[in-house]
Amino acid sequence: MLYAEKLKYVFYVIFHPADGFWDLKRENRGSLSASLTFVVLTVFTLGMEKLNTAFLFNNNRISEVNVLVDVITVLLVFVLWCVANWCTTSLMDGKGRIRDIFTAIGYALFPIILIRLPLVFASFCLTAEEGAFYEIFGFLSYLWTAVLIFMGTMMTHEYSLGKTIFTCMITILGMGIILFIGLLFFNVISEIIVFVSTIYKEVRFR
Amino acid sequence: MVRTKYGIPEKRSVFCRLFRMLVRRVLSAFTLSAVVFLSNVSVSRADMPYDTYSYNYWGEEVKEPHSYLYAGMISGKEIGTNLSYPADLFVAEDRLYVADTGNSRILILSMDGMLLKEIGSGKDAADTLKNPQGIFVTGEGHLYVADTGNSRVVEYDENGNYIREIGRPVTTLISDGQEYSPTKVVVDGAGRIYVIAYGINMGLVEFNSEGEFQGFMGATQVSVSMFTYIWKNYFSTQAQQDRMETIIPTEYSNIFVDNESFIYATINNLSAEDRAAGADAVRRLNPTGTDILRRLGQYPVIGDLEGVTFGWNYSSFVDVAATDYGCYFILDETDGKIFAYDYDGISLFVFGRNGIREGNFQKPVSIGLSDDESRIYVLDNTLNSIYVFEITEYGRHLLDAIRLNHMGDAQGSTREWQEVLKLNSNSELAYTGLGKTYLTEGNYKEAMECFELGNSKKYYSKAFSYYRKEVMETYLTGAVIALVVLLFVIWLIRRIVRFRRWVGEVRCYMQKN
Repeated sequence: MLYAEKLKYVFYVIFHPADGFWDLKRENRGSLSASLTFVVLTVFTLGMEKLNTAFLFNNNRISEVNVLVDVITVLLVFVLWCVANWCTTSLMDGKGRIRDIFTAIGYALFPIILIRLPLVFASFCLTAEEGAFYEIFGFLSYLWTAVLIFMGTMMTHEYSLGKTIFTCMITILGMGIILFIGLLFFNVISEIIVFVSTIYKEVRFR
Repeated sequence: MVRTKYGIPEKRSVFCRLFRMLVRRVLSAFTLSAVVFLSNVSVSRADMPYDTYSYNYWGEEVKEPHSYLYAGMISGKEIGTNLSYPADLFVAEDRLYVADTGNSRILILSMDGMLLKEIGSGKDAADTLKNPQGIFVTGEGHLYVADTGNSRVVEYDENGNYIREIGRPVTTLISDGQEYSPTKVVVDGAGRIYVIAYGINMGLVEFNSEGEFQGFMGATQVSVSMFTYIWKNYFSTQAQQDRMETIIPTEYSNIFVDNESFIYATINNLSAEDRAAGADAVRRLNPTGTDILRRLGQYPVIGDLEGVTFGWNYSSFVDVAATDYGCYFILDETDGKIFAYDYDGISLFVFGRNGIREGNFQKPVSIGLSDDESRIYVLDNTLNSIYVFEITEYGRHLLDAIRLNHMGDAQGSTREWQEVLKLNSNSELAYTGLGKTYLTEGNYKEAMECFELGNSKKYYSKAFSYYRKEVMETYLTGAVIALVVLLFVIWLIRRIVRFRRWVGEVRCYMQKN
């Protein structure tokens, strides 16, 4: 199927999550490239929201926003979730390959783009009293995405409901562990670098 | 960014700026030499012993031009007799009244610090004072002294003659063993007398104008964290409970009565728990004892935000003085700072400092304002002297803008805010103030711009809702007509297409046959 059609398939997925995610994998109706497109769009949406939301609803200090940090944060969370999920599910009889996980999660991010991007424009037409609408829709986008991620995990790995909940919790724990090990590794490496460079200096100056 | 619209001058040539700088220097030196009238201190703006700052929307300290400059000190040398641990200062029209606690007397000074009269050290037993810690002067010039050592409040007339004493309140609410030592006293417009007494934590002691005890007013509420409560009541033994400090309501540290007979009261011994629970360190009490202080600012009226954020070095308020238009100045003992707030509880500026440089405080205890706020007097308990601060051009414009706005003079207020912006283009306060006048004038677009610069979302929203209405009213009719026309055109095109298809079909049919 064409790339454009695979993109269009997302509208079916977000309204029929169970069916949609099942076909996404079995019938090959989605693709990794389409999924990564959604990830890029999500990053774009969140960056746009930080910088371009109207003054009334923008609680960021524009002069101190670093978009690069936000981009990396979103990508990091995305990759961490996928990797942690793959690690746990491969130990727990999950049927999904890492490619399937990446694809499903990318499609699941779509409500963020669908709701939050128009919200950026809508924020210019709302007063503070009408801010409740803004808040509700913003919250809704995250809730929807969370449900989709959940359903995506369930369908990709052919899990039962209880097992999915358990897996999701383990995945979050796993993300923490990966982060911890990563930081530890980073620390140790920097210590080693300092150690080696000190020795080098010591030797040179003698 | 250069904003000529708001009265900020555009970029000028270097020479022009240099010239202006020179003129300003000379002028300020001139005014200052006129200002320094007491001791031979030479001070300039650059070496003020403190910074003046205000809090921006994000709660950061932003340095700004000085609102008040240290102008000198009135100490024993100027008065002619030394003070000893003075505890209170009252500024009336053209007099300074000092409670010279250690010497058991009240001194009446001229504004320059010349000794005019001494009260309370007479031989007559009735009017002899003992360690008086509080003083108040009524509109008629009657003097009320909190005679701490003699457990009474004494009234003198305008010539310093003894009139009466108001002794210990006759009530069963205070046990007989309880010590009664009044430390501060005020009298409101109706002649009611309010007293802060040491060790009495039920609020202010209220007497009527006859000196009869009326009751307690404005008691502070006790706030206990849930953890403390449970720990104390369910997990501690009797012996442990006895050793714990009892949780009692906080006492007021000082009071001030404003021109509308409302009482400003400060509290200085708030615990960290109280502060975390959002307890207020300053109150404005109406005659029923209800706190009516307006707290519409971004941050609470709590002094230094740093202390609240990091949980250490809290400001502790020892005195307050208010203007006729609701601005008030609070004196902080911890850092020797003076916090100015407007009638909405929005922080205006902060200045002053504890330290050892000339103009720094050692232990500030009392603050007084001259009639038009042109001078602030601060009494120091350790250095036994009165500090004098003189208002600057910037401070004048700032306070005038607020005063005029309070009086409803929008144009005058706008003018003053523009002057403030000329001197400090970072002033969020001025942008917000300016925006408010644009809002009342109906310049919604400009109002929005100002509120955005002033980071005031509440007013921005208000201006925006009007602006949106204006835009809608202008373009709504046009938009509706355009929509109708568009729909009609679409409908027409579809009809034509359908008609031509039908024609084609007919032709096709006819060709077949």
